[in-house]
Amino acid sequence: MITEAAGASVAKQAAAESRTVSWRKAKKLGAWCFLAVLAVTQLYPLVWLLLYSFKTNSEIMSGQFFALPKTWQWENYTDAFTSGNYLNYIKNSIVVTGLTLLLTIFFSAMVSYAITRFRWRYGNAVLLLFMIGIMIPIQSTLLPLMVIFKNMNILNTHLSIIIPYVAFSIPIAVFILSGFLRSIPHEIEESAMIDGASIYRTFLSIILPITVPPIMTVTILTFISIWNEFIIAATFLSAEGLKTLPFGLNSFIGQYTANYGAIGAFLVLGALPVIIVYFILSEKITKGMVAGAVKG
Amino acid sequence: MNGVLRVSKGTITVFVLPCLLFYLAFVFAPILVSVYYSLMEWAGMGDAVFIGLDNYIFMFTQDPIFWPSVLRTLYISLFSLAQIPIAIVVAILLSRYVRRPNFLVSSYFLPVILSVVVIGQLWKAIYNPASLGGMLNKLLTAAGLDSWTRTWLADTDIAIFALCFVILWQYIGYHVLIQFTGVQNISSDIYEAASIDGAEGWRADRHITLPLMAPVIKISVVLAVIGSLKAFDLIVVMTGGGPADSTQVISTHMYLATFNSFKYGYGSAISTFLVVFCLVMTVLLNRLFKRAEEAIS
Repeated sequence: MITEAAGASVAKQAAAESRTVSWRKAKKLGAWCFLAVLAVTQLYPLVWLLLYSFKTNSEIMSGQFFALPKTWQWENYTDAFTSGNYLNYIKNSIVVTGLTLLLTIFFSAMVSYAITRFRWRYGNAVLLLFMIGIMIPIQSTLLPLMVIFKNMNILNTHLSIIIPYVAFSIPIAVFILSGFLRSIPHEIEESAMIDGASIYRTFLSIILPITVPPIMTVTILTFISIWNEFIIAATFLSAEGLKTLPFGLNSFIGQYTANYGAIGAFLVLGALPVIIVYFILSEKITKGMVAGAVKG
Repeated sequence: MNGVLRVSKGTITVFVLPCLLFYLAFVFAPILVSVYYSLMEWAGMGDAVFIGLDNYIFMFTQDPIFWPSVLRTLYISLFSLAQIPIAIVVAILLSRYVRRPNFLVSSYFLPVILSVVVIGQLWKAIYNPASLGGMLNKLLTAAGLDSWTRTWLADTDIAIFALCFVILWQYIGYHVLIQFTGVQNISSDIYEAASIDGAEGWRADRHITLPLMAPVIKISVVLAVIGSLKAFDLIVVMTGGGPADSTQVISTHMYLATFNSFKYGYGSAISTFLVVFCLVMTVLLNRLFKRAEEAIS
């Protein structure tokens, strides 16, 4: 009798276990479905754009929401490439973003160093001034800056967009860099000073090298926002030869309203540089964006 | 806390002054200039006429676009907050059920790094009428939901929601990434201890994951609110504030009044309001968080 009861309870337990196992499996399946649907929602519009960019106008208008191009229209790309100044836009974007990064990092590293390491009365007040800048929307300075630049005679030059880019990238950079610099031990400079190095030398050859990780974070955050910036470029620049990629892209589309395939091709070309960078550095970029968000 | 290095005033000047002057000249001075312009009537050419607070009085009492655009700015912020609970659920599911989550996280994140021009133009094409190849309307037709098809961006009741969805689509990946990093940083020992006490699954989430993630959630909230103020570029690219001003927010109203209607004085008044609005929102958010923190502890 006893063994029979034990046998029954074992069987019951096994049944219960298999039920929890299958319940667990169902939950896992549900979770996977949800996550997969989200992935499709996020990626399908981009895939759709890629297919769109290889189609003819009539295919785009008559086709289903999912359809491969009948023949891959590489002409769309040659059209976009030859009638837009793609390479020139890219060159301009590289120049503008590169200079913005250099100036932002140089300026903010120096000021962050002074704020966190020097003994002086106004350090915190200066830091606070920079922190207010994080909250100021860049659009609200467009008109005054336009008037100022007109008087400086630099409107419609790359300088007129690099200046606001740097000015509005500094606050977050100062925040991230000073957070890091505050945490390093003071013995580092003391030993350098004892060896007779000047404060400038110490800054350049000792402090800057160890600050590389947060500088990477600043670089990534600034790169993403400046490379993609549209409204300032569209307001301050007008010469075709000076346009950056997002602005050039938008004005190309404005002119080519009827050639859908070429518009698609130009959008793909416009997204390409940053997507390539993302494929190469995806982990660094996601880490940098999280670090920037956490500290911002 | 201040530093300890004793340096001369000259050295401090060399380190601080270039950056500080540059920053004050191109961030703070323009705001002050803008406050000054807001007291003028000025079309860019000719002389500006001092009119006192008339621009503000017009803005608050007569401008039919102003208050709806303020409300819409707040709506977009609230709507953006809706992505945070979704992101938290996704983050928890990822950490619990997916062994190699990196591919999924990076694919959710991909739209975040794209320019608003690419995103805006892509979604304009997606929202197009079916006859122009719009994907959404074609999808609805294929699913037998013909009656749901719309001219999404040309419909005054719907355009703003169509825009909100694009904002959600672009930024959800950022919030998932932040929340996922938050979940991963919670030590597994805590869950083991909890499971000994009988707390597992969603119960453990409610009593352990959520409270421990409070700081990360705060980051997402701040980003969502600030980000929704940045919806400006997307609206300029996709609808330009139309149709019939139904997608105007404070910043687009300011931009169009200034650069399309050349009402420099009036545009500056809206711009001054925008700066004050952003600062007040920041202070309010901080107060709210302080109160929430006190309530938790």
